[in-house]
Amino acid sequence: MKALQITKYGEIKDSLAFNEVSKPTVQAKDVLIEVKAAAINPIDKSIILGNFQSMMPISFPSTSAYDVSGVVVEKGSDVNNFEIGDLVYSRVPQEQMGTIAEFVVVISDAVSKKPGNISFEEAASLPLAGLTALQSLEYVGIKEDDKILIHAGSGGVGSFAIQYAKAKGAYVYTTTSTDNVEWVKELGADRVINYKIEDYKTIVKDADIVFDTLGGDYTAEAFEVIKKGGKVVSVVGSLDEETAKMFGMTDYKLPEELKTLCEDKEASYKFIFMHPNGAHLGEIKSMVEDEKIKPIIDKVYPFSESIEAFAHLATGRAKGKIVIKIS
Amino acid sequence: MEELIKKVNSIINLSKEGEAYFVSIAREKSTPKGTILIREGQAVDKVFYVTSGCLRSYCIDKSGKEHTLQFAIKNWWISDYIAIHSDEYATLTVECLTDSNVIEFNAKELNGMLTLFPEYEPFQRNLLERHVLSLNRRILNQLQLTASERYDLFLKQYPDTEQYARNYHIATYMGITQESLSRIRVEKAKK
Repeated sequence: MKALQITKYGEIKDSLAFNEVSKPTVQAKDVLIEVKAAAINPIDKSIILGNFQSMMPISFPSTSAYDVSGVVVEKGSDVNNFEIGDLVYSRVPQEQMGTIAEFVVVISDAVSKKPGNISFEEAASLPLAGLTALQSLEYVGIKEDDKILIHAGSGGVGSFAIQYAKAKGAYVYTTTSTDNVEWVKELGADRVINYKIEDYKTIVKDADIVFDTLGGDYTAEAFEVIKKGGKVVSVVGSLDEETAKMFGMTDYKLPEELKTLCEDKEASYKFIFMHPNGAHLGEIKSMVEDEKIKPIIDKVYPFSESIEAFAHLATGRAKGKIVIKIS
Repeated sequence: MEELIKKVNSIINLSKEGEAYFVSIAREKSTPKGTILIREGQAVDKVFYVTSGCLRSYCIDKSGKEHTLQFAIKNWWISDYIAIHSDEYATLTVECLTDSNVIEFNAKELNGMLTLFPEYEPFQRNLLERHVLSLNRRILNQLQLTASERYDLFLKQYPDTEQYARNYHIATYMGITQESLSRIRVEKAKK
């Protein structure tokens, strides 16, 4: 079968190639998915560039990407929750990475039936960004009337998080640039802050939650805008001690600055490391079918133009997700 | 089962032997919500009579989106008749939208009633006529009525189904978007 593979760490155009590879075989708990669409995310670019080579080393060549939608064509002997012919979507686990291919094998726990009211391309755009947002906002227990600041509302995670937070009845502040203000408003955000002309720190006061999707200075700044006892949840900032322990870093300590900020505001800080989860994708399926969440797609590329899709991703200018139609 | 026999006998006079055979080929089943009774792409040899609950048949277009063809509530029959009569694989999926009770028949055994018990034929014909009528009505309604009028008809034809079906099930049955369905509902609520 044909697959888009990472051949070495480095620049996108030098490190990706279409290769003929053998069709993967299913283990007892796996399903084999005939891929209809795959989606790419910033992490896929970072992996190619080698930014995660110490944390998540890959062997070469490795097929790229994690997000997928398609049809179950084979299943392992222990799989009871799926049948051949089921239309599914998934964010595949690290060890099964490789969705830009004609087939991918995925452990069935990481798979869900896809929403029935959207296309394969739309379904493929949801898993990674959707799970990241859902797991972060579920962790902080977002609820009706909470005031939340979601950074980068036009990004894959941000655009999903806005819709999810609105579905839970929260009041949503979000930041974005001039070009994106209008369509981000349409996602339901109550106050869209154009960071090019406004300082969000003068607008957001006493937020219950800050969802940090940017990291850097934004993580510390979150404590300026949350209320006493508020919650900061980040997908890009420093690890918290509990998460670090999960990765075997038993001696890890939260950076002193963050610790002090938490103490001063009696606030909590949590780093969320998205984990593949079929049940969570099932929740997203229901929300999409009820139109509480709409997939946002920037562009769909044919399989043959997958490398161009990565080049587009690398510009960082996509409004919504970049999807590759495989078959 | 008794109710179905009563229905049959309200149209024909099935002999005692015919009734016994009919009962012998019927399998009463409780099917939990989400059960798939017919799956697209697989062989089909069953038809289902609904005694309680709500079922739906749908097809999936090339893009992966579902389109509802039919809902089936109490006293309705449902299957993939194209597959059964053309001996092809199913192009439809039939799923239970609620915990349901159905009576399952093997299509060939049910057809066997016609040769074994000729008095059964008018009942079968009546079913077929009603099926054709319903399909014709559905096409004409689609051509002649506004979406709002079709929604009224849907509510009349499938009472309570709104409680079980998701918006996109109903919207795709009516051939409109979910947004349009929401708009129609809002307009009706205002009246």
